[in-house]
Amino acid sequence: MAEADETKEAETTAEREVTMSRAMVGAIASEIRENDDVFVMGEDVADYGGIFDSTEGLLEEFGREKIMDMPISETGFIGAAVGAAQAGMRPIAELMFADFFGVGMDQIYNQMAKNTYMSGSSVNVPMVLMTAVGGTYNDAAQHSQTLYGTFAHLPGMKVVIPSTAADAKGLMHTAIRDDDPVVFMFHKRLMGIGWMPAPDGPKTPVPEDDYTIGFGEADVKREGDDVTVVTLGLHVHRALEAADGLAGEVDAEVVDLRTLVPLDTETVLESVRKTSRLVVVDEDYHSFGLSGEIIAWATEGALDDLSAVSRVTMPDAPIPYARPLEQEVNPGTEDIADAIQDVSE
Amino acid sequence: MSGGTVVVDSETVWPADSEDVEEAVVSNWFVREGTAVTEGDPIAEIQIEKVSIDVPAPTTGEITEILIDEQAEFQRGDVLAQVSSA
Repeated sequence: MAEADETKEAETTAEREVTMSRAMVGAIASEIRENDDVFVMGEDVADYGGIFDSTEGLLEEFGREKIMDMPISETGFIGAAVGAAQAGMRPIAELMFADFFGVGMDQIYNQMAKNTYMSGSSVNVPMVLMTAVGGTYNDAAQHSQTLYGTFAHLPGMKVVIPSTAADAKGLMHTAIRDDDPVVFMFHKRLMGIGWMPAPDGPKTPVPEDDYTIGFGEADVKREGDDVTVVTLGLHVHRALEAADGLAGEVDAEVVDLRTLVPLDTETVLESVRKTSRLVVVDEDYHSFGLSGEIIAWATEGALDDLSAVSRVTMPDAPIPYARPLEQEVNPGTEDIADAIQDVSE
Repeated sequence: MSGGTVVVDSETVWPADSEDVEEAVVSNWFVREGTAVTEGDPIAEIQIEKVSIDVPAPTTGEITEILIDEQAEFQRGDVLAQVSSA
């Protein structure tokens, strides 16, 4: 058994790797080939290939019947996607930036999220709302938010946030096949775009065959006994870097939530019961959001086991444009390392 | 003849509409040293003035050396990597 594992690992190191954007595009392309009901609509998804490469190359293979550029009216095309989904198709609508959710919010939240319930299940809404999130590239307060907590707070939508190419592919297949609306939030910095280099980590080997990753299954990206770090998206990689830097001093476990709705509280609780110390790292705002929610679940489920908690988040302020200011407010590897050390004292 | 070394020559993928451009950047490597490749597989993505271009494996074999790091700039005609052909 041990011998077989070693062989597998040796093969893994020499495998071809793909960027997160290519993994997502591969999953979308495969679903379109398999199912005539799947199509993509959004701003700049066709000729441009998505401004963050989320639909790169799809137009060439599938043409304009399947890959449709939309005018700048999120209300119009997200509403059209909701209608198409209710009529039995499986649209993937791209909201170019999650920050723009406000201009299509009635379609997202009053229609997409609720129509299954409002209709007494006479219709359902099997669509994917794919959207770019996150900062670190000086795009200021209206183009840099993650809004993880906002989307996860509103019931009726599943919320998915991949951190690696392998996870993105499996989660995208699951999202497209799901009979409920799924918000698929991809972090721009993880995509592997030429002008926005990704950190080490998101580019991974990806199995060529289709596979799914179940929603509500967090992934322990690094095992450890001393401190639990719960995070998602870009900050999975920053947390891993912080944990590796502290190796030998503090043994940190890094839990990648992967989906917020449904939320895998069991994996979080299991880890916290083991370590008794919890750090939540979130690129979203500090108050009324994900970090507070995870700590609440941990407190409700493992109060007696907890000895210290901490959260590392964006402050409750619009995200600055200036590079040094943005770097200051966006949780960095050192901020995470400091928090891990603080709770271990 | 098997067992030779084939270079990944950036000149071969240089697009006609970038004739007046001399530099590019390696955006992504999809392989590491030791990765087995099939002729035509994309092994890297380079960026020439914001245009991304895939670099295919010139032969079936194994990547023996990567000569330009990810995010590094190179000159048109530079060799990006070496492949030992199967």
